Parts: sequence; structure tokens; C-alpha cells
Amino acid sequence: MIHIQFDREELPLIEKIIVESIKTRVKKSGAKGGVVAFSGGVDSSLVLHLAKKALGKNIIALIMPERGVTPEKDLKDAFKLVKRLKVDFDVLEINEFVKNFSKVLKRGTKKGKEYSIYNLKPRVRMIINYMYANTLNYLVIGTSNKTELLLGYGTKYGDLAADIYPIGDLYKTQVWQVAEYAGIPTDIVKKVPSAGLWKGQTDEEEIGYTYSQIDSVLFCLVELELSVRETSRILSLPSRAVNDLYLRVVKNEHKRRPPTITKISKMCLDKDWRYPVERE
Amino acid sequence: MKKVKVALLQLSTRLGAIEENTKKIIRGIERARKKGANIVVTPELATLGYGSGDIYLDKVSENLKAVEKIKNKVGDFYLILGYVEGDNKGFFYNSAALIHKKKIIGNYRKVQLVNYRIFDEKRYFKPGNKMPVFETKFGKIGILICEDVWFPEPPRAMALRGAGVLFVIGASPYERGKDNVWVNYLRQRVYDNILPVVFCNQAGCQDGVTYLGLSMYINAQGEIVKKGKLTEEDMVIFNIDLDEYKRLRRRDIRLREVRKKVLEDLVKAFEEMTDDTHSI
Repeated sequence: MIHIQFDREELPLIEKIIVESIKTRVKKSGAKGGVVAFSGGVDSSLVLHLAKKALGKNIIALIMPERGVTPEKDLKDAFKLVKRLKVDFDVLEINEFVKNFSKVLKRGTKKGKEYSIYNLKPRVRMIINYMYANTLNYLVIGTSNKTELLLGYGTKYGDLAADIYPIGDLYKTQVWQVAEYAGIPTDIVKKVPSAGLWKGQTDEEEIGYTYSQIDSVLFCLVELELSVRETSRILSLPSRAVNDLYLRVVKNEHKRRPPTITKISKMCLDKDWRYPVERE
Repeated sequence: MKKVKVALLQLSTRLGAIEENTKKIIRGIERARKKGANIVVTPELATLGYGSGDIYLDKVSENLKAVEKIKNKVGDFYLILGYVEGDNKGFFYNSAALIHKKKIIGNYRKVQLVNYRIFDEKRYFKPGNKMPVFETKFGKIGILICEDVWFPEPPRAMALRGAGVLFVIGASPYERGKDNVWVNYLRQRVYDNILPVVFCNQAGCQDGVTYLGLSMYINAQGEIVKKGKLTEEDMVIFNIDLDEYKRLRRRDIRLREVRKKVLEDLVKAFEEMTDDTHSI
């Protein structure tokens, strides 16, 4: 019943669907290509591969390390992959921007400041993404996956800021599978996932569970629509753990939506008005 | 052996792009005619493009003009065309027109509108209540629209009214496992009624939704005789044996022995279910 992993024969179609969706949106929006913020992690590696398949030469990978935080290995992986995929890239260190923006803060506790600066880093990258996108008439191709979107494990208007989420309906463990199928080097696929916000950070340590556990729980709650109690019984996990993840999903709905508009008219734009983005 | 040649236009219709869709349909008709098709079929809401959201309401008259234009291209053959119908009361329907020699000789309104998950048809359309069959020179045919065939009643009604083949036009999106779902439903209706079933589905990707394609012809024995490509545009051409079902029905009681008393009790059971306000 818990069938998260794709069957082998599903993989070519999954890849094709995502590639087509990127291609169509870029074409329909009148853009010329796509920008991918590229960390050398598995998500952005897969997105870069898919974007390359969809857009050919018209993509640019932005490698935006933070000196002192981004591991050398990530940079090496990133360079290796852009070369292998023959993707144009720029390297932009974000330290100066982070430092200067940090000076803006005139109040707040130490802890509060620290928290805002962790989020500042992806936001700096977002600004650079959109500067490139505007300049080149490209779209920003987001790298968030379904696990992150559900848990709210991403920075609002930071790494979550994008024009499309091509892998946003793939759980992390599915991303691994599709990446492997797509031929992303094993050491990237198998690398311990990290948001890279501080030195030595790992996602699984920060969230408190392994991705395999998280995905099983999310799959039960979201795809199978099971309750917390049923999920904990089926997976033999403590209900506190399941509930913890469930609450994260609930609390982070705001990160999956545009800002709520206060309704005044009969045609409130986020509630009553329903037009597709890709239209004639 | 009585045979009819059918061409399914598995199109990727674009949202609200009536001109583009009309051109595609006309081009498809011309290609199908060159191959000698007697019956040409489009997907659901082909003039406007399924998934058009509030554009459905904005462009009804433009879509009706497109129907006129397409109608004039239909000579001595049949076209089953998905479009938005407007009645003289100001209501709209998700409909299929049967066109022959530049005339609409039959019209069917979807009876089972879909309103779950991404589907929102009741926002725009009024459901039909009639399950007619249409006389053609190849005998009587039934036309169904997508979800209609997930219910046993509409196909059954058409079979009872003497349809020799059922045409299902659809716009069913891809999601994991959906291909099997369709094969199962279509085949089930074949088994219920001992009739060939033809399915013409939308393809292509827009607004992040990829349509399944996979148009197909299942003969009265339940064999998939011909299948369209997954998710891509395609034209599927085949001959239908219009006598096969009669041969199969000689020693098969499934349609012949439908009993009025049973149907009456079915209606009673339905009324009991819908009037359960007093039960716990």
C-alpha cells in the first residue's frame, strides 16, 4: 500500500512530463530560458539536468557559495556537473551581501537575528536569481521538492521563490530515484542532504527524522489520507513523531500559498477569480 | 462484416486559445479524412481547451463561432466535437456535438460533472440529464464525456437504447496509476454491455498538468485493439467491427437479462440513500 518509490518503467515518463512542463511554461510566458540556483545538491542537480533537457543552451546555473559555510565538496560537485551537462554558469559568492544586509538590523534578540540571517542567505540568492532572470528574460526554476514544501523546510521568498517547481510533486526519496535514473553522479545522489545554512548542517538532523521516515509518514498522511493514529500504527512509529510532522505540514500552509488577500469585492483575486497562468 | 474507420485526434489543446485549437482540429480532420476515416473524434472541450478555468465563461460565444467554422469542414463523414454549449436560458454545458454534412445532428451534455481535487466543472456547467443514442449510417452510437463512463448507468442506458459502439471523449490528466484506472473503467463498461468502447483523450502539458493521452479502442471482447501515445499528441486510426458485439451477445445474458424489477429496486435504493437524513 505504501508505494512511494516509482517502478522502473515509470521513470522515463516522469522525466518526460517534467521536461515538457518546463518547456511549455518557458515558451508560454515568452521567456527565453531558465535560471537555476545550483548548489551541487541532489535537488538542484536534478532540476538542472531537467532544465537542460527542456531548454538546451538557454539555461544558466548560478553557483552561489558562502565562503566558510559551503563545503568544498559541494563546489567541486557543482563544477563537475555543470561541465558534464555543458551548462553555462556563473559563480557568485554571497558573503559580502549577507554581511551588508546583516548591518541593516537595528533591533532584535541575538537568537532572532541569527534566525533572520539564516533566512537571509537564501533570500540573497533569490535576489541574484531574479536579477539574472530579469536581465536575460529567463524564468527562475525552483528546486523545492514535495517533502520540503509539505514541511515548510524552505525560506519564504528565499529558495521557495521561483516561477515553477518542476520537482515540487516528488518526495525527497523519489528525487533520489529520478536523479539516479537521470544519471546524476552517485556521490551527488548519495550525499547527505543539507540546506547549507550553517557549517555542518544536515537536513535530517535539523528536522529530527530521516528522509525515509519523513516520506513514509507524509505519504500516509497526504497521499493515502490516513490519520496520525493510523499512520503511526501502520509505520510502527510513535504517534508523537507522526504528530510532530503532521503539525509541521499544517503550520506551513502559508508557505505554499501566495499572501492571503482580505476579501472586499465579489471578485477577490485569490479566492473568487480562477484563471490559468498558461493561456492563449 | 460491417466496419467503420475511426480517427481519434489526441490533441494537446491550449487553454483559451480557440483560434489555435480550431486550426488544430481542422488540420486533424483533414489528415483523418485523407486516411479515410468515417468518424473523427476530438477530446473533451476541445475548442476551449480543458482546464481553462474562468475563461470558459468569457469565451462561450467565441467557442460557438469555432464550432460553426469546424462544422462547415465536415462533409460526408461524422465528427464528434467537444465544446461549451450555451442554452437560451444563459446556462452552459460541457457538451459533445455530433456533426455530419455541415449539420449538428446530435448533441450530448455531460451528465456526471466532476468536482473533486483539480476538477471544478460545476463552477461553470449545468449537468445534462439525457443519455440518448444517435442514428448514423453505421448504426446507432452513444457519446459519453469522460467521467460519464466511470459510472455504470450512462453507458448502460445507451446500450439499452441500442448503441452499437460508445465513444468517450475525455480530458483526463496524468497521475501515477491513472493509465490502469482508465483501462479498467473502459473495459468494465465493455463487459457490462458487450459493446466496443472508444476513448479519445487530451494530451500535452499546461499549467503543470499533463494530460494522459492514451486514447484507445477496446473491442466488444474487452481487448485493447489500438492505443494512442502516453501524454503526447497522436492520431489513432482503426476499424471497428460493428457486428462483433451482436455475435457475442448470442449466448451472453449480460444486457439481455437486465430486469425492470431490479432497476426499479435500484432506483428505490438510490432514493433511500439520498434520503437518509433521519438515519444515524
